[in-house]
Amino acid sequence: MEKKSRGDLVINGFGASNGGTFNIVTLNGRGTVNSDLDCIEFECNGSGVVNGNVISEKAKVSGHARFKGNLDSQKLTIDGSAKIDNNLYVKHLKVSGKASVGGKVKGEEIKVKGTFTVGEDCEAEIFKADSQFSIGGLLNAEQIDIKIYGECKAKEIGGQTITVKQKGSSFIGTLFKPLFKTQLETELIEGDKIELENTIAKVVRGNLVKIGANCQIGMVEYREEFSKEKNAVVGESRQI
Amino acid sequence: MSEELISKKDLLELAGISYGQLYRWKRKDLIPEEWFVRKSTFTGQETFFPKEKVLERIDKIQTLKEDLSLDELADMFSPTVTNLNYSRDELIKRNIVSTSVVDFYLEVEKGSHQFHFSRMLEVFVLEKLLQSGEINLDEGKMVLHVLKDNAPQIKQKSCELVVTRKLGVSSCLLLINAEAVHFEPGTKMVAALPLMTCMEEIKAKLL
Repeated sequence: MEKKSRGDLVINGFGASNGGTFNIVTLNGRGTVNSDLDCIEFECNGSGVVNGNVISEKAKVSGHARFKGNLDSQKLTIDGSAKIDNNLYVKHLKVSGKASVGGKVKGEEIKVKGTFTVGEDCEAEIFKADSQFSIGGLLNAEQIDIKIYGECKAKEIGGQTITVKQKGSSFIGTLFKPLFKTQLETELIEGDKIELENTIAKVVRGNLVKIGANCQIGMVEYREEFSKEKNAVVGESRQI
Repeated sequence: MSEELISKKDLLELAGISYGQLYRWKRKDLIPEEWFVRKSTFTGQETFFPKEKVLERIDKIQTLKEDLSLDELADMFSPTVTNLNYSRDELIKRNIVSTSVVDFYLEVEKGSHQFHFSRMLEVFVLEKLLQSGEINLDEGKMVLHVLKDNAPQIKQKSCELVVTRKLGVSSCLLLINAEAVHFEPGTKMVAALPLMTCMEEIKAKLL
């Protein structure tokens, strides 16, 4: 599509549009777009709803946005809360608020500080989370770096380097500790280099496996090296 | 599913790859999602793969990854056809078709000298069958007809082209996602050509 013929779509206050091809789309206030959007920049500051698929180069949600289709964007920043009913395809995703995706997520770099919910698989080259998350399918990334700030869940985790760390405990954190479960729960972790803390998993398989504090692992299969801290529970470990 | 399955663990050992590589290839869609077969075993759920297919694919990836990037490889394996457009002369130059076959094709079809991917596939299939001497020119026309009529299907699904002959009468069929096909005893299967492999071969020649 030629860029020169594109106009802008701005909705301030209550308003609705039928969608189409635009340069910049800004929804301030309560904007509704009733079909597919193709734009260069998408910004939602109030409470926006798109009843279709969105393709954009740069998207930013600072308020509350709901996408009732797929979202395909080079760059997506979520500072507020966003809900995507279907799939999310994004090169660079940064979540500082809350994001929830009904389908799968495919990206290159995913950075999450906040809450992140994915219904199906989540794939990226780099997955970095200092947060609470829940992934219904497989979390698959070259480099997985998780700091646990709450209850984290993923059905399966696979990748090259997988690091799971407990966040540094603050004074307030220790006060509220009994109220929040800070752990990662998963059925299976597979990777080349795995370092875990506070993790509950049925099976862990890898080359170099390091099980840290507060882990409960059903079975560890390793190829080269295995180490375990004293207060970690490992049901069975074997070298293959 | 009657194929032999291989567990993930055995596969890694047999192919000499790591979990990281396997997951990377999965991410890049080099290994299709359908091949990840989940089965419950006594240790919980495990993933299995169709042995022959996955080993062949890994072998291909390992030999090609020296020259191509993973993204290029992904393009090569993906069934969705890339936007390629080549002229008749270029196809001949790149060794995809011979002059006689492409001229026969153009004569039957009466299309332009510019080839997009599905036409490239048609002419390539024709080339393979005619050059190997498995079919004659009349049968070539028939094959072409079948391919033309089902072009949209071919692009998306895994298809196999089968040419049979009985008492000198030939017939051509296109199998879509088929597992097996059986004929009556007098029928001779002249040629069977998985189109997916053809596409990969063409892409390998183009890249």
